[in-house]
Amino acid sequence: MEILNNQDSLWYFLPESVLILTFVVILLFDLPENWSKNRLLAPIVATIGTVLFLALSFYTQQFPEAITFHGMIINDAFTDFFRLFAGLTALITIFLSLKSKEVAQVRAEYWALLVGITLGIPMLAASNNLLMIYLALELISILSYILVGYLHNTKTSSEAAVKYVLYGATASGVMIYGLSLIFGVTGTLNAIEIRQFLISNPAEQLALFIGLLMTLAGFGYKISMVPFHMWAPDVYQGAPTPVTAFLSVGPKAAGFAILLRFIYTALTQDQGGVYVPLKYIDISTLMAVFALATMTLGNFVALQQTNIKRFLAYSSIAHAGYMLMAAAALNTEALRGVIFYMISYLIMNMGAFAVAIAVINDSGSEELSAFKGLGNRGRKGALAAVAMTLFMVSLTGLPPTVGFVGKFYLFSAVIEAKIYWLAVLGVLNSVVSLYYYAKIIKYMYFEEAKEQKPFALTGFSFPSLIVGLAAATVFFGIFWNALSYLTEISAHLLM
Amino acid sequence: MHFFLENIWVIPLAPLIGFLINGLGCFLRLPYVKSRKFVHFVACTAIFVAFVFAVGVFFDLLGMDPAHRSFTKTLYPWISIGSLEANVAFLADPLSAVMMLIITGVGFLIHVYSIGYMHEDPGFARFFTYLNLFCFAMLLLVMGDNIFMLFIGWEGVGLCSYLLIGFWYEHKPNAVAGMKAFIVNRIGDFAFLIGLFLLFWFLYQQGHPTVAFSGIQENVHLLEGAKVGGISLLALVGILLFIGATGKSAQIPLYVWLPDAMAGPTPVSALIHAATMVTAGIYMIGRLNFVYSLAPEALVVVATVGALTALFAATIGFAQNDIKKVLAYSTVSQLGYMFLGMGTGAYTAGIFHLMTHAFFKACLFLGSGSVILGMHHEQDMRRMGGLKKYMPVTYMTFLLATIAIAGIFPFAGFFSKDEILWKTFESGGHQYWYYVLWGMGVLGAMGTAFYMFRAVAMTFFGKLGERAHEIAPNEVEEDEHGPHQHEHHTPHESPKSMTFALVVLAILSVVGGLVGIPYALGHFFHIPNFFEEWLAPVFAGAHGEGHGAHHDVPVIEYMLMVFSVAIALATSALAVYIYTKRKDLPARFVTRFPRLHRLVHEKYYVDEIYQVLVVNNLLRINQLLALFDQKVVDGFVNFAGTVVRFSSKVAGFTDNRWVDGFVNLVGNSISFAGASLRKAQTGLVQNYLYIAVAGVIALMIWRLL
Amino acid sequence: MIQMQHFLMMSAVIFVLGIYTVVTRKNVLGILLGTELVLNAAALNIVIFGFYGNQTIESSIYALFVIVLAAAEAAVALAVGLTLYQNFKTIDTTETRELKG
Repeated sequence: MEILNNQDSLWYFLPESVLILTFVVILLFDLPENWSKNRLLAPIVATIGTVLFLALSFYTQQFPEAITFHGMIINDAFTDFFRLFAGLTALITIFLSLKSKEVAQVRAEYWALLVGITLGIPMLAASNNLLMIYLALELISILSYILVGYLHNTKTSSEAAVKYVLYGATASGVMIYGLSLIFGVTGTLNAIEIRQFLISNPAEQLALFIGLLMTLAGFGYKISMVPFHMWAPDVYQGAPTPVTAFLSVGPKAAGFAILLRFIYTALTQDQGGVYVPLKYIDISTLMAVFALATMTLGNFVALQQTNIKRFLAYSSIAHAGYMLMAAAALNTEALRGVIFYMISYLIMNMGAFAVAIAVINDSGSEELSAFKGLGNRGRKGALAAVAMTLFMVSLTGLPPTVGFVGKFYLFSAVIEAKIYWLAVLGVLNSVVSLYYYAKIIKYMYFEEAKEQKPFALTGFSFPSLIVGLAAATVFFGIFWNALSYLTEISAHLLM
Repeated sequence: MHFFLENIWVIPLAPLIGFLINGLGCFLRLPYVKSRKFVHFVACTAIFVAFVFAVGVFFDLLGMDPAHRSFTKTLYPWISIGSLEANVAFLADPLSAVMMLIITGVGFLIHVYSIGYMHEDPGFARFFTYLNLFCFAMLLLVMGDNIFMLFIGWEGVGLCSYLLIGFWYEHKPNAVAGMKAFIVNRIGDFAFLIGLFLLFWFLYQQGHPTVAFSGIQENVHLLEGAKVGGISLLALVGILLFIGATGKSAQIPLYVWLPDAMAGPTPVSALIHAATMVTAGIYMIGRLNFVYSLAPEALVVVATVGALTALFAATIGFAQNDIKKVLAYSTVSQLGYMFLGMGTGAYTAGIFHLMTHAFFKACLFLGSGSVILGMHHEQDMRRMGGLKKYMPVTYMTFLLATIAIAGIFPFAGFFSKDEILWKTFESGGHQYWYYVLWGMGVLGAMGTAFYMFRAVAMTFFGKLGERAHEIAPNEVEEDEHGPHQHEHHTPHESPKSMTFALVVLAILSVVGGLVGIPYALGHFFHIPNFFEEWLAPVFAGAHGEGHGAHHDVPVIEYMLMVFSVAIALATSALAVYIYTKRKDLPARFVTRFPRLHRLVHEKYYVDEIYQVLVVNNLLRINQLLALFDQKVVDGFVNFAGTVVRFSSKVAGFTDNRWVDGFVNLVGNSISFAGASLRKAQTGLVQNYLYIAVAGVIALMIWRLL
Repeated sequence: MIQMQHFLMMSAVIFVLGIYTVVTRKNVLGILLGTELVLNAAALNIVIFGFYGNQTIESSIYALFVIVLAAAEAAVALAVGLTLYQNFKTIDTTETRELKG
């Protein structure tokens, strides 16, 4: 294992450098007065930058895995996966932002901020140092605050942004305080060195536990883990819908990446594919309890929602619960499972948000009742309804969709880890989720629309995106070998 | 070389394509689904192509060496997680070939029949979509080479069944019937899944993690002697799987959904609830015969439940007036015979009866559909009578199928039913209990002959509407579409597309049994028992299959044959006599034994017993909870108020059918919990942070404790 | 003699006061002040551990980063608070509760 110095590390940082450059270039577009004449310029540059980022990450992926920047950042297969993930999420979000009426009149900075958050995702996923974690987390958070409050003339948007800032600032403050305790006890902020410290000093230290707990609170806030989830519904509802879609997928996945990397690297010891928790910290049970609480709360409260975005927010909390099972299972299968689940979640959640944006565009209303009778509103309506049905089926986790395969991998990892109660309760939770996902399907097919006009989903590109995501949901639900291969190579942490 | 075997994937693919074309059309409201011709052309062609390939597969297999007649076509490695591997692979062997031929053959005929039957229905395209989807799922079930595919097909046919039972969902009882089928089948499937997992888990522990049938067959002997809690593992697995089969194949105690399932359109009753889906349980036992052969305890359970069901359901058939209900209970009863055959270890006989039953019961159901259509949506046999004159083709085919089901020589039913009864009697030599089962089987056979000829007499003989006065004025009459008005129409014969299917099925009901002439009769003319030889490789390892050793036929076999034909003829004649010449007898019987008649007519109150056992217990728990509220929780006024409101809600639900009640109970508990949790989301960011801090502190305390 | 634990105790007190402020204040700016206290407690902690611990420059750099990020966060928070005031004409969190449930 090689720890590279700053100069040698730069090659590994090539993809991210492109994003930094894109970020700066787009910011410059706001300087001239006549920006409004070139509305498409910034998103096009952002798209080009992201595509270049993806291409370069395929290039750097061929380099040998290494620890770069004196141990601050790790470049392994896991990092490569999150580069890919961030790029794809960003591309879909840029597209959705172009199609959504809510963010039709934005300045170039909007796109720059999207690119900035995209930069934060792989950096957070790659962080090996607690300070680096804090920096990447704040990079994502601070830019997200601005994006959430981007519609400054809307009450809900500004309220959401204020709540997000206050909650986020406090959570990261608690986290950095926890980090300082860990630093004090172990004398290091490097995750690998923390593990070595824990192995050689098995004596129990309360300060260390409190420090870890506070750090977990910081991670938990990012992935909306119960009881650190309460900002999420309000923020998701208030933010512009494309931003909500992005927040619920990209930064959340980054939060999971770092949570898993930190737990697997610093708190466990690899014993041939099974990661055994170190000394007195029963991280497995702790995370299992968090996972159960998160999925149960998400599912139960989602049942009660009437706002589309709030509904999807609780649904995303529930899915965070499923993904948290990987932090409890602690084996290679769990890593593979959660990576697979993230891909499936990217496809189906982005799909659901795409249809939601189309519905909000059409009706101007964010109420779930806007979905009523969608299946009977002309050919475009039927198309959107079929796609939404597939996304709902997939989010529930029924075959033959990609969501089913993802759940299957996750649950088999939990069973492999012999945490049977969690597996059983998790499956029961999926059954509960059927109730509210089926509600949407019921609305679309069995209820009358308020006004029987054909569904407005114009153009070619937006319907194709929805159809493409729906097709991917089913396609990867049946032929998942390619994805399975991707997860197999990506589930490798350098430690 | 074997073109059809190599391309066996076409068989399930064809109906899938048909489903996709019509289904997409329905979903997206594409213009082509408005053309009925196009829709039924697509659906019928799809299933016909499948049929042609199934025949091709049959002949390909015929051309192979009898001992190695098995072919696996792996399409795609489907799941591979750790030690678990399952492929999308199709297995062609004599057993699956028989099933494929039945599903595609009978399926095709019923598709053709549906063109006429569903002619006026607005949901024409939707109907054919479901029908094709069903065929696809059923083919997956019988063609899969591993348990996973069997289970996916198993659930798939279930789904189509619920969709089709509730096809006319605007009418509430139909939707409820669909729900009932769904819930009852969940109970069975739960046991089925546990059985599958147990089997897999123990194979895994033996170091042979496999779900493929061939793999299980090779390794199942390793499990012999394994115990779970003092019970033989294989017996437990066998019984659990059989409980799953009692759900799908409508056996005691889970048969209650099948009669209600008659709410679906008649072609559906014929295809799904008579010929194919309900036989999935029998197929499953046949496929896993190597498991059952090592678990004699499980076989006894199977045989006993089968015989009990055969007799029990036959008696209910005596007192039903709805022509489809008679056929439904008859199906339950005949399925019982099949399980009796399987449970005796006479797998060939069971599968043989499965096949002949598919012919004559499909014919009977389609015939009843033709009658219902001809009578303008009338299902009550008391309003029928004398239809012989108006519907000659329907009459002839219905009569032939009835003779077949009654087991009269040389019709199809005789050979298969007699073989089951003979094998049961033969097993009595080892275990006296089987003599009892045989007795039940013979009584059931008498009952079958009686109620079937009663149906024929009431429907086709006599004069039209001569029994209408027997209908009490307050009886609620419902057909598939709900309550309806009685208008006087002249009955008419059905269109050609329907009679075509009837005639073909009637011919099959007459001659279909000749492929399995028992040695006892066949050796006079040197006709081999083709069917037994054909299936022999599949059931090679099974006990009780004494193939090839028919050297001396015991005289008692001939005696029993003559005996069963004689009693079948006698009871048939009795039924015809009573219901044509002595029409007063049934009424006098009813007045003489009112209680007995009511008991049978009300199907032994099984639905009501379930109601009492399940619903009332729920109610009692509810009362206890309410009591607890009053006495103990009085202090917590707010809390108690909420709970009381909640439990009164629950009490309100139990007024409905138990199915609805149960579903709503679960749903509302969750809603209630969700609503309470929702209140915590106050909109105040301080509160959010407060809860987060409280969470951290709680975890610290948890750690310190 | 002032020792390490005295400093730690002080930072812990600042931390708890910060959390208390965050949870009890109704004014957005008040809550923001609380978060600043929390962050500064953390920065103080890091410097103390560095000074009494391995004596490297690392800890001082970490503290600088924390201060810089705290400033960035405060800038965004103030801007966002301003838009809240424009929309609601108040920055009292109990009166800005459109989003809940």
